[in-house]
Amino acid sequence: MNVIFTVIFFLSLTVIAFTAPDKLLSSLLGGAENAAKMALTLFCIYAVWLGLSRLAEKSGLSQAAAKGLRPLSRKLFKTENPKALENIAMNLSCNLLGIGGAATPYAVKAVKELDKDGNEYAQKLLFVINATSIQIIPTTVIALRASAGSAAAFDIFLPSLICTVISTSVAVLLYFAVNKLWRT
Amino acid sequence: MAYVIPVIFILVFGFSVFRKVKIYDEFTAGIGEAVKFTFSLLPCLAAVFMLCELFEASGLAAAFTKFLSPVFGALGIPSELTKLILIKPFSGSGSLAYLNQVIAENGADSYITRCACVCFGSSETVFYISAVYFAGTKVKKLAVPIIIILASTLFATVIACLLCRIM
Repeated sequence: MNVIFTVIFFLSLTVIAFTAPDKLLSSLLGGAENAAKMALTLFCIYAVWLGLSRLAEKSGLSQAAAKGLRPLSRKLFKTENPKALENIAMNLSCNLLGIGGAATPYAVKAVKELDKDGNEYAQKLLFVINATSIQIIPTTVIALRASAGSAAAFDIFLPSLICTVISTSVAVLLYFAVNKLWRT
Repeated sequence: MAYVIPVIFILVFGFSVFRKVKIYDEFTAGIGEAVKFTFSLLPCLAAVFMLCELFEASGLAAAFTKFLSPVFGALGIPSELTKLILIKPFSGSGSLAYLNQVIAENGADSYITRCACVCFGSSETVFYISAVYFAGTKVKKLAVPIIIILASTLFATVIACLLCRIM
C-alpha cells in the first residue's frame, strides 16, 4: 500500500504542478471532505448493523449461524479461532443475502481476530472473497434502471449472477494457486 | 426481496426477547462499536480519497482512460465503460455517478447500459475495502491479492459484455 500510494501520489503531484497548479490544494481538500461525508454515511450503516449484530451475538443467533457454516469455513480459512469463525460465517451470510453494508463490520472483526493468530492467509482470503463481491441480487442497479424507465429492469439479474460467481470463483482459485506455488 | 431485511430484524429482535437480552443496552453498545469503528477508518479514508481526487484533477485519470480504451476494446468491452471500470476500484460514489450518466445518455435498455449495470453490480471498490479491512493490522503485503482481485474482475467484465450480447 505504501508503494502504490507513493507512486500514484507523486505522479499526480508532478503532473498537476504543470497542468493545473492552482487545483492542487482544492483537490486535496475536496478529497478530505469526501472522506468525511463517506465516514458519516458509513457510520449510519454501521450504527444500524452493528447494533443489530450485537443483539444477534448476545442472543446466540450468530453462534448458531457459525455452527452451520463451520465445517466449510474451518477448512477454507484454516483457522480454529471460534470468534473469527463466527464473524466469517456472519459475513458470508450477509453477502449472500445482498446486504453488503452489514457484511463489512463482520469482515473487519474477523480480520482483527485473525490478526491475533497471525493468520495472514485467512485474512487475505476473506478480503479476496469480499472484494470480488458475492452478491446475489444487485439491488442498487436494478433500482437505478427501473427509475430510468427500463422496460425490464430485472433482466440483468442472470448475467449479474453469472458474473459475480465467475469473478469470485476465479479469484479464489487464483488465490489458492498462488499460495500453493509460493509454498512449494 | 424487499422482505429479507424486515424478516432479519424481526427474527433477531424476536429471538433476543426470547433469550431475555437487554435489548436497549446491547443495541446502544453495538452503536458504540460503530462509533469507534468509524473513527478508526477516518485516517485511511481521508488519505485514499485525497489520492483519488488528486489523480482525477491532475488529468492522469483521463489520460489513463484514453490509453486503455483500445486495449479494453480489443477484449470486447465498449469504450463507454472504460471510465466506469477504472473508477470502480477507487470510488463507489464516483462510479455510481458515472453509471447514472451512462444510463441517462444511452437509455435504460441499451446494450451499453445493461453492460454497465452488470459490471457495476459484479465489482467492488477494492482499494477502499483494502483500506478498511486492514487498517490497524499487521498485514502489509497486499499487492498479490489486489492483483488477483482486479484480474478476476476484469475477466468477469469481459464475460459480462459477452453475456449481455446474447441474453
